[in-house]
Amino acid sequence: MKKIEHNVETGEVKEVELTAEEVAQRAKDAIAYAKAKADEEQAAAEKAEAKAAIAERLGLTDAELAILLA
Amino acid sequence: MAKQTFTVGQVLTADQMTSLQQTAMGGGSATAKTASYTLVAADAGTTVIMNSASSTTITVNTSLFAAGDTVFIVNQGAGVCTITAGTATVSTAGSLAMSQNETGELYFLSTSAAIFSEYTQSAGTGGMTDIASGSLSGSALSLTSISGSYKDLFLVIRDINLTNAVGVSATFNNDTGSNYLNAGIATQVSSPTRTAIGSQGTNIDLSQTSFATGDNNNSLQLRVFDYANATSGKLGRYQAGFTSNANGKYAIDAGVYYYPTTAITRIDVSISAGTFTGTYVLYGVN
Repeated sequence: MKKIEHNVETGEVKEVELTAEEVAQRAKDAIAYAKAKADEEQAAAEKAEAKAAIAERLGLTDAELAILLA
Repeated sequence: MAKQTFTVGQVLTADQMTSLQQTAMGGGSATAKTASYTLVAADAGTTVIMNSASSTTITVNTSLFAAGDTVFIVNQGAGVCTITAGTATVSTAGSLAMSQNETGELYFLSTSAAIFSEYTQSAGTGGMTDIASGSLSGSALSLTSISGSYKDLFLVIRDINLTNAVGVSATFNNDTGSNYLNAGIATQVSSPTRTAIGSQGTNIDLSQTSFATGDNNNSLQLRVFDYANATSGKLGRYQAGFTSNANGKYAIDAGVYYYPTTAITRIDVSISAGTFTGTYVLYGVN
């Protein structure tokens, strides 16, 4: 896997291989990103479920609930 | 050559003619000063070079110079050199304070009044200089050896297109420690919802979500304030806009606080999977 390295001082631009550390960091980032995304989706699902439960208990439609929350 | 009083029949030497020529061409003999200095009559037609790490003054008094006399002044040192009216009047349309490597000239209107003109001065507030630009490819961009010559840095990335639906992140000085505090708001435009951004992480989460693949109409920008200071953490601000991703149209307005006090000399922008294309410009801002 390659990257662009741009030396701002000299203006030299070259394509170089990622270092072992960068490859490892990329793998860690991918795992962290997947976890964050899963957590985000789970939180959104839980929030939607909780909203629906409250609406049902109050006898409100989704449209009525949206007006109250707007 | 300092100002002379020539006499009828005087024979000029080659050295004198060379010196006169040099003065006529805007140079002139120079006297180096390392501390505050009060001009004397012999400075007329010469160059005074101030070279001090501390702040200094050059004082201008009356009855030393005649109308039409000039004194060229160069501030070579790191300390600000200020042209100061002693008993004479000194006027300027700009600043009397000369930063390092600035030059200027005193032009005497009379024995008691002079105008100071700065020939060079630092770029004004808001001046932006393109210090690195090009095209993205591969999986990351490293902007290295960034000099501390500017007040702020401003990175603009346009037309980002990814092969994998992932987010885009950035780091300073290749630091992947948990030193970045992201805070702000992300707005999903097509079905309006606003999500508060607030996390401490190992990078600047520029996109906060994944881009759609095959879409060029995405932009990011990151501004880093006072990036060269080596005594405090760094504040940054970033905005992003995506026309299409998993959540529809998306806009972000957020800030980052980077804890380490080291001056920033490198910025990396990367993605965690696949490759990207697009264009980038790094501006130095004064």
